[in-house]
Amino acid sequence: MQLLDRTFDVSTVPVSGASLSAEAVRRVEQFLFHEARLLDERRFAEWLALWTEDGRYWVPRFHDQANPFEQISLFWEDKMLREVRVRRVENARNWSQQPLTRSAHLVGNITIEGLDAAGHLIVRSTLQLTEWRIDQRQLAGAVFHKLAATEDGGWKIVLKRVNLVNCDDVFANLEVFI
Amino acid sequence: MTLSNEALAALVRADSVHKRVYTDPEIFALEMERIYGQAWIYVGHESQVKKTGDYHTTRIGDQDVIMVRAADGKVHVVYNRCPHKGAKVVAEGDGCTGKFFRCPYHAWTFKLDGSHLSLPLKNGLEGTCYDPANPDFSMKAVARVDSYRGFVFASQSAEGPDLKTFLGGVASSIDNLCERSPVGEVEVAGGTFRVMQKSNWKVFYENLHDTMHARVTHESSFVAAREEAAALGEMPFELLIMDGNGEPYEFWEKLELRAYHNGHGYMEGIFDPTAATRDPVSRDHFAVLSDAYGEDKARQILGMNRHNTIIYGSGSPHTVFQQFRVIRPVSVDRTMIEIQTFRLKGAPDAVFDRALTYANLINSPSSNVMPDDVEVYKRCQEGNQTRGGDWVSLHRYLGTDQETPDGMVSTNGTSELPMRNQFAAWKQYMLNPAPTRQRQAQEKEADRATA
Ligand code: FES
Ligand SMILES: [Fe+2]
Repeated sequence: MQLLDRTFDVSTVPVSGASLSAEAVRRVEQFLFHEARLLDERRFAEWLALWTEDGRYWVPRFHDQANPFEQISLFWEDKMLREVRVRRVENARNWSQQPLTRSAHLVGNITIEGLDAAGHLIVRSTLQLTEWRIDQRQLAGAVFHKLAATEDGGWKIVLKRVNLVNCDDVFANLEVFI
Repeated sequence: MTLSNEALAALVRADSVHKRVYTDPEIFALEMERIYGQAWIYVGHESQVKKTGDYHTTRIGDQDVIMVRAADGKVHVVYNRCPHKGAKVVAEGDGCTGKFFRCPYHAWTFKLDGSHLSLPLKNGLEGTCYDPANPDFSMKAVARVDSYRGFVFASQSAEGPDLKTFLGGVASSIDNLCERSPVGEVEVAGGTFRVMQKSNWKVFYENLHDTMHARVTHESSFVAAREEAAALGEMPFELLIMDGNGEPYEFWEKLELRAYHNGHGYMEGIFDPTAATRDPVSRDHFAVLSDAYGEDKARQILGMNRHNTIIYGSGSPHTVFQQFRVIRPVSVDRTMIEIQTFRLKGAPDAVFDRALTYANLINSPSSNVMPDDVEVYKRCQEGNQTRGGDWVSLHRYLGTDQETPDGMVSTNGTSELPMRNQFAAWKQYMLNPAPTRQRQAQEKEADRATA
């Protein structure tokens, strides 16, 4: 199963440093803000387009979880599963999205961590997420993005790992991407 | 005020139940005594407490209990209460307490079976009835504990059928789950999900064999999976397990539903078992089982194709995807589900990978499937709070189900037999005229202590 391909590098510990100009750092920050905005505005098609073909979205179930291969995860999704989630959320008979989940992401404390073995840029940020669907819910955590540089000077997401502060909590549902 | 047996009996009809059974806190309190106070309830799996001192906390109805491995290798189940001032001795979760329990409040200590070990400054108790052998100074053990192939159950009543008898026809589901391992053993692995539902616990049990809901409730999910498969030109495992809910009504009508005494039952699998030997994971699994058991037996093990099994009061083991959804009532309108995944000892890794994927994609709080179930359960809870009617229908195929020596079998897979069977058991428990067996046992013990 491709989803559990253990050769996929989930590590967010840099193997080398990255030197970026202030301007380049600003562009990385703008990329993260833009990504969060697409989720808040439910512009899912545009959000899906931010990813590399092989990109993985991961929300671990445990603090310091080593990988998604031996243990359960809150989310572990490749392109196919991200697309399925969007299709479901946008289906008219999505009973548990009536009313819709509304959200506001606040992304801050952005730091450039370095490069992974394949040369992807590792970026860490802190997330504050306010959600509304019948009740208000707060989610928060540290987010690691692994970004691949594109030819036109932009970025694509290779890995997005969200370490929720309450990943080991009891949940009702987590239907949309965090 | 306690409801009379006449009042309770009037809540369950052959073809319907009064909505009060889902919404009345007084009924919930009685259920905790008369059902959860008597039945064998799944506490946890032995693999969750591997070494001496390992413990796992959970609940039997509204009672906080600890499952713990003692020095003699036995698993004990004790109430999580210190006999001094009542403090919970261990915090919720899993851990290891070492050689003994030590209360965090005044340091009374207890052996791993809960019996009193010591306390500081004994002099102060001189001239009192303090006696380490007196049960008043020990953590209380749950009346009965037994294990079926590593699955630990406890009953708060000293009387009643033994565990094997209680499980009846659904013991075979646990057998099948274990036999899927070439050494006949499973272990909890990969962690557990916990999901809270704003609905009464009984709603979940009813849904487990409610074949009529799948196409309707999960429409957005199976349609999304099918659209994706069409775009890809193939239907990989991840999509196949979502697609199953979208089978047409004719498919569900053909399934067999089994109902056993005590509210238990199972439904036939919704995935084709012969498809299983066609895919490489199942082929490898089959090869390993053939080596261990011989080909005929291996075919029989993998051919036993059950979807959800119901162990009433405990939850739902799923044999094919190695799962146990443990159902814990919290209050009349809150239910917590703990989703355990099992590794089949000695089976190929890819078999566990499939179980992990199934847990992530079908039953997790972030799956594309479970949230819609949780939503409709909540709507039942909320709708039943309105004055829009008093009765909940259980009419489908009433009177057509066939009796078997140990229960019933449906003539149509969309029958509401499972719900009727659960309420028959519910009524039996709830009308138990004697003061609950638990209380009888406590009184007996109190008599012994004062005699
Ligand atoms: S409450 Fe446990 S020692 Fe006092
Ligand atoms: Fe369902």
